[in-house]
Amino acid sequence: MIQLFNVCKVYQRDQYALRDVTLKVEKGEFVYLTGPSGAGKSTLLKLLYCAERPSRGQILVNGRNITRFGSARIPYLRRNLGIIFQDFKLLHRRTIYENVAFPLEVQGRKRFEISKKVYQTLKNVGLEHRLKHYPLQLSGGEQQRVAVARALVVDPLILLADEPTGNLDPEVTMDIMGLFKSANARGTTILMATHDRSLMREFPRRTVSLHAGSLAMDDLPLFRGAAE
Amino acid sequence: MIVRTGYFLRRALRNMRQSPVLSLASIGTVAVALALLAFFAIAVLNVQQLTASWGENLAIVAYLDDVPDKKVINSWAKEIESYPEVASVNYVSRKEAFERFRKRLGEDADLVEGLGPEVLPASLEIALADDWRNESALTAVVDRLRKDNRFDDLQYGQGWLEKLEAFLLLLRVSGSALGGFLVFAALVIVANTIKLTLYARQDELEAMTMVGGTSLFIKLPYLIEGALQGLLGGLAALGLSFLAFQVILQKSLGNLLLITGIDTIHFLPLIWQGLLIIGGGLIGLLGSLFALRKFVRFGAP
Repeated sequence: MIQLFNVCKVYQRDQYALRDVTLKVEKGEFVYLTGPSGAGKSTLLKLLYCAERPSRGQILVNGRNITRFGSARIPYLRRNLGIIFQDFKLLHRRTIYENVAFPLEVQGRKRFEISKKVYQTLKNVGLEHRLKHYPLQLSGGEQQRVAVARALVVDPLILLADEPTGNLDPEVTMDIMGLFKSANARGTTILMATHDRSLMREFPRRTVSLHAGSLAMDDLPLFRGAAE
Repeated sequence: MIVRTGYFLRRALRNMRQSPVLSLASIGTVAVALALLAFFAIAVLNVQQLTASWGENLAIVAYLDDVPDKKVINSWAKEIESYPEVASVNYVSRKEAFERFRKRLGEDADLVEGLGPEVLPASLEIALADDWRNESALTAVVDRLRKDNRFDDLQYGQGWLEKLEAFLLLLRVSGSALGGFLVFAALVIVANTIKLTLYARQDELEAMTMVGGTSLFIKLPYLIEGALQGLLGGLAALGLSFLAFQVILQKSLGNLLLITGIDTIHFLPLIWQGLLIIGGGLIGLLGSLFALRKFVRFGAP
């Protein structure tokens, strides 16, 4: 589903954000991307949703080489992705319903189809009673659940999450992880950047470690049974 | 497509409702910029109208010291009327000239008491055709009349006409330059105001690009919003300039131009009023387009 071949990203001369990274993520996999701050986790995710371009190397997503995608093709790639950020990136002047409906509206879906799908997705994240509220009327955990709903409403092939639980308390973190697990069980490939070791222990999955832009470790969970 | 147009229009209207202060700032900027342009246009149009009316009065007067027979005068008039530059020839007898003079004196008419029409010469008033009201045509007609010994006392405003033509040229050039500058300034100011409103929505625009919105899908509501604000600004500019016209311009410009013989000051013609509103819409649309270029980006180049 995701393939990186000798990918490098250089922001300034000789300052590598990523150095010669080769990685393969299979369809339906759940992979943690970990490493200290500045290791290149966010850069790698940005390369996958084309917010950045690699300086060298090739990237394939769902069999398509996205390395030199132009601005006109990027939106169509992103329609197959669900992207979640630590700071949620919700539309503050739109209601929860409108936030979750937006990815479907850009795809030109019919209105009745949108309302059905949005309600169902908000129900899955436990926020169907909040659909007329605005993001800033919600707690941080609830806002992140809205962001998850917005990412999942399009049934994405891949879910890219950049420190999605970084600002959340442990209880809410468990809720969010539960949502990710369900999405993964439905076939969505998940790549999640985090440095929360307790989380990785609680939900053991394949873990890819980055250090100073290089791939430092690629481990399968120690207890496979725990991953199931 | 109709459904989509409705969607974009609804979004644009909602954006405006949700940020009333930012919307009013944009509308106000367009209104002030275009109102300035409208004031300027009113002044230029009226001065142009005045100078055009001066041109209409352009005539050559050939004085006749010895008045020939009526038939002879008629044949002379016909002859001069056959010149391509000449529109009409009007014979003014001594008597008519005297009457005119008396009328012009008004209350002081008693000054000519005891005098007769013989004190004034008869004349032929030669009016130029519309297309020939310029210096070269005037000179050509005068030269032709001079060659003819019948008319040696000719009066025409040649020096004055040169000045009038130079003034008209100056008015046209400076009017176009200043008008163009005002439109450009309005566009820059509006683009910057819209840019400021977009700074406040930067996160929103970024979030839209992340969920697969195409450039057009994201930009359209903002473009419609810009055009609507521009149209409203144009309408407000029309209202403002009409108000200023009624309260200040009509009186002050009227006083200024009254000395020159113009007694009615006109507001902008209907077509200009329409252009002002449509121009507002265009300025808003272009302003949004320029501003959005910077804000809707999908990634590093």
